[in-house]
Amino acid sequence: MKTYPITLTVNGQTNTLEVPADRTLLELLKEDLHQPSVKSGCHIGECGACTVILDGRPVNACMILAVEADGAVIETAEAETQQPGVLSELQQAFVDFGAIQCGFCTPGMLASARALLARRPHPTREEIVEALAGNYCRCTGYEPIIQAVEAVARGGYRAAPAPVAPYVGTGANRVDAVAKVTGSATFVHDMTLPGMLTARLLTSPHPSARIRRIDVTKARSMPGVKAVLIGADLPYKLGLYMEDKDILARDVVRYQGEAVAAVAAETWRQAQDAVQAIEVEYEPLKPVLDVEEARAEGAPQVHPDLGRYSWMKGVFFPQPGRNTAHHQKIRKGDVEKGMAEAERIFEFHFQNPPVQHVPMETHTAIATARPDGEVEIITSAQSPFTVRHLFCRTFGLPLSKVRVRIPYVGGGFGGKAGISLEPLVYCLSKAAGGRPVKLAATREEEFNTLPSRQGLRSRIKTGVAKDGRITALDVTYLWDAGAYADYGVNVGRAAAYSGAGPYVVPNCKLDSFVVYTNKVFGTAYRGFGHLEVLWGIERNMDLVARAVGMDPVEFRRRNLLRPGETTITGEKFTTGHGRPEECLRLVAEAIGWDGQRRPEKPVRAGSGKVRGKGVAMLHKAPAMPTYTSCSATILFNGDGSANVLVSGVDYGQGTYTTLTQIAADELKLPLEKVRVPWDSDTDYTPYDWQTVASRFTVMGGNAIIQAARECLDQIRAIASQVLHAPPDQIECANGKVWARGKPESPLDYAQIVLGYTYPDGTSVGGPVIGKGRYIATGLTNLDPDTGQGLPALNWTYGAHGVELEVDTDTGHVRVLKFVSAFDAGKVLNQQQCRTQVIGGVVQGLGSAVIEKFVFEGGRLLNNSFQDYKIPTAKDIPLEMRQLFVETPHPQGPYGARGVAEHPMISVPSVVGNAIANATGIEFFELPLDPERIYLTLKHAADPAFRPAGRAQTTGVAGE
Amino acid sequence: MAGFRYERPGSVAQATALLAEAGGGARILAGGTDLMIALRTPPAPEVLVDVKRIPELGEITWTPEGELVLGACVLVQRVADDERIRATFPALAEGAGAIGSLQVRSRATVAGNLANASPCMDTAPPLLVLGGRLRIAGAEGRREAPLANFFLGVKHTALGPGELVTAVVVPKPAPGLRSAFAKIKRVWGHDLALVNAAAAHDPTASVVRLAIGSCAVTPVLIPALPGVGASADPREVGERLAALALEHIQPIDDLRASAEYRREMTALLCRRLAGRLFGGARRPS
Repeated sequence: MKTYPITLTVNGQTNTLEVPADRTLLELLKEDLHQPSVKSGCHIGECGACTVILDGRPVNACMILAVEADGAVIETAEAETQQPGVLSELQQAFVDFGAIQCGFCTPGMLASARALLARRPHPTREEIVEALAGNYCRCTGYEPIIQAVEAVARGGYRAAPAPVAPYVGTGANRVDAVAKVTGSATFVHDMTLPGMLTARLLTSPHPSARIRRIDVTKARSMPGVKAVLIGADLPYKLGLYMEDKDILARDVVRYQGEAVAAVAAETWRQAQDAVQAIEVEYEPLKPVLDVEEARAEGAPQVHPDLGRYSWMKGVFFPQPGRNTAHHQKIRKGDVEKGMAEAERIFEFHFQNPPVQHVPMETHTAIATARPDGEVEIITSAQSPFTVRHLFCRTFGLPLSKVRVRIPYVGGGFGGKAGISLEPLVYCLSKAAGGRPVKLAATREEEFNTLPSRQGLRSRIKTGVAKDGRITALDVTYLWDAGAYADYGVNVGRAAAYSGAGPYVVPNCKLDSFVVYTNKVFGTAYRGFGHLEVLWGIERNMDLVARAVGMDPVEFRRRNLLRPGETTITGEKFTTGHGRPEECLRLVAEAIGWDGQRRPEKPVRAGSGKVRGKGVAMLHKAPAMPTYTSCSATILFNGDGSANVLVSGVDYGQGTYTTLTQIAADELKLPLEKVRVPWDSDTDYTPYDWQTVASRFTVMGGNAIIQAARECLDQIRAIASQVLHAPPDQIECANGKVWARGKPESPLDYAQIVLGYTYPDGTSVGGPVIGKGRYIATGLTNLDPDTGQGLPALNWTYGAHGVELEVDTDTGHVRVLKFVSAFDAGKVLNQQQCRTQVIGGVVQGLGSAVIEKFVFEGGRLLNNSFQDYKIPTAKDIPLEMRQLFVETPHPQGPYGARGVAEHPMISVPSVVGNAIANATGIEFFELPLDPERIYLTLKHAADPAFRPAGRAQTTGVAGE
Repeated sequence: MAGFRYERPGSVAQATALLAEAGGGARILAGGTDLMIALRTPPAPEVLVDVKRIPELGEITWTPEGELVLGACVLVQRVADDERIRATFPALAEGAGAIGSLQVRSRATVAGNLANASPCMDTAPPLLVLGGRLRIAGAEGRREAPLANFFLGVKHTALGPGELVTAVVVPKPAPGLRSAFAKIKRVWGHDLALVNAAAAHDPTASVVRLAIGSCAVTPVLIPALPGVGASADPREVGERLAALALEHIQPIDDLRASAEYRREMTALLCRRLAGRLFGGARRPS
């Protein structure tokens, strides 16, 4: 291929190279000039992950040919680091303001901010937002980034003071922040191994079809191609709870986007060319697209062999012949009796569309099938041991022969909780003679091929007594699981036992059906079904309150769980559960809730801007097996510092920072002497179940406390010999140890932690090493017929309050104030808690007002950022507040509870409630996008209007 | 995306010669913000002709007569930032500033935006209402053509084989000319227009010119609304513009919006633009 000579300056270094015409600037910077900070996120110039500064202007490197940049002066985020080890003001402000979570968008953000500050040293907030709005971030909610840039724009930025011990409860900066602002954090996306091949997928254009023929002859003989695989080559079944999925589709395809063939070649282009040369003949079949139709008798079956699959018995209850992967029943009290006791009964229906997690780093895996039979996997995943376990189960390999490594991960949100591309990449490596193979999903594949959040249809029937107490709840949840069960069955289970909201419901009948359809399949997504069910439940609370003439806050207060009451699975609510009523009170107060009545008559479209307020509650506990466990080891270094090894993954949520604080306090060490090394590695870091469900800080924290105490016992034992004092008279602080009353003659940990040596050379003790573990206890499986049992380790309760403005001319919503309160048990790190909440709220706003999959005949129409929009820096609330209640949890480390997923839950509900409050019109279906709001307002005046497939209610069913 | 050659002519003559030589196998590369996406779908062109280094294509000039000449490769962000354009043709500066993200506007060019001929391009309605013309060069020589005749369909223009847009010319504004641009999108952040619109009031001719995007296969220049003096009632003008616009657009239901919403928003934009042109409520610039 013809090449072109170019010269360009990158971060002050002049480079002269030869490039082919089709090489992009992004490829040149990443692969030829080794600028690992430059990320790729979408390849269509929408996400800004690849932002670099070209001749002073911020540009997307994916949208420029390398040859076009001949003669250009380019700066990447690395240009911010003028001197190794010294952060620039901008980098330091990013660190101090918690402007970083997963870190994948950070280099692009820094480049955009750097370009702005270079041309305008003192920009306004509006100018900052404009400059950052071209960079997508899925974690931070933008506000901390904007504040960091504002701080630098004010001039003379000075680093925030370092926290002092005890560290738990301070706002210590993230331990990974410096690696991320300097571009040093390496993601799987950035990695290249010697001899590595690149893989590409061929995916199905049909939602349901029989594969008549696949011809790979031509593809196999193309240049650079080392392996071509189709489903027939791979006789394996995969599945987390239900083994229903092939590695590549065999005989039939069950959703548009399903992988049917894969190629590994020397280069991406060669693999792509070969994939396009594969011929597939399909016989399209009638797809099953609607959950109700799918459950009907005689419907085509997505999995005709469902009854013969293997699944987790006793926990999941599939219904073969009904396209149903799981039916979760909850039965408490007598729902008919409860309805009979009711003064009034209401029934409302709600809908949520499927949506996507949108991690900025798409799913990426590298696998090597070594000739000695061992397997090495490096993957952008959340749970190394789950990847290894499922991988080995599929291939019948011993666990000890497979190593799974997880470096920095560019966002997960549940979408990377289980196993995804790893088995396929391993099979390609094996077929290619053991060379490492890398497969990075394109953004389109991330939408179309990898799992999403499943859609939900809810029917909620509520009986209410005269005094406003709920007497009965009769609920049906129909989950649109898509083609495979994955985590979806457990979403249907967990959201069922949470599915009445944080309320006292004496009589409850709840059925949750996880239904197969011919769509991209569902999985865990931040909050695991709770955002979905609480959309209905929390809208229902407002609807019912208004119908019975009560203030929605008061109606909630009257029905909230309180000590002595039981949940719908029979779990006793105790003071250790936390204080949901206090969360509600705080948000109501902060938004100035005044029980304000909404407009007497529905507001008409075109009447200008109207404002409204709303509240919503939320709760969630980790959804996990009863026996979930976790472990940690602490190893000391010769200088008295300690490495804490865990296998949970910090993919942006900040857990390693809080774990570092806990370890430092427990080990009596300065914070900077504790390190949680980044790669989780099944060969070296101790077992942990999965990094999901907001349970890592709780379980990992407990394991670390135990491990640290073991270390201190060893340190005290050695010191006791050396200092001639009993162990219980030995005191430790700040990395030093002394006999009580003699602080003037301490030993440094460095003298002890590898064993103490006397002046004559004799030694005592030995390397200090601590192990800690934690296993959930007292949990039970749910009774198959009634759902009664104890499923949850620790509940976290919270509430949101919002004030917003609806432009009735267009339907656009502007959130003016968003207040959130959570009973976190103990705020271990103020910065982490605050930024988790901000990020979760903004991610929830995406689900509330923008995000949805749009299908046409089973084909996903919006599989890219062009038409799947997520919030940008311009879409966030004008003001956000985060409030915390601290009612200790009896099992939590320092009393802490998880608060990672929770901020996203009930964000759509509170927005929906406030829009109803502003407009006098009820919405039942998400998202609350401008068109839906505007047209609903417009048509609401006409009683005959029933928008097809849109909001529906059966209204008041009976009195 | 593979297989093409890359050429970087230094003059318009060289560019047109390269285009003629390629005989339809060439694509013109300006900002590349649309082309780079198109290149991923086969068939690949034989040659990309990168016209960004042709000096005359990168200039913003005002003729002594007061015409604005935007070189084909002038960045849309430069148009959005240019003080004189903002003061003279606010609709054009606003339309340019409404395109994509800052990263896209820092690469995209005015002529590229027009020549891509997407129905939702944000610079077309302003240039249509301002009476914009295109300077076009080809192997046969140079010609000038009104923008109003340029758009033939989705991604389809009146540009002949081997022709290249070299500049966009905006005529000298009539005394007292006011103009404005507005856009409806799905999010507050960067997004394609569900509807966009520009209006210009020429008090000398007592007309309002209006153009609507995203509501037909091409941006639509609506026949001028006559009899509108400088002191016209903004509400009345808004209603008249809306009624007129709705007669001339053919919006469809698609992934981004329904035809019904597009019609409603078209009417709204007409009212809003009239409010800005006649209500004294100029957008802060």
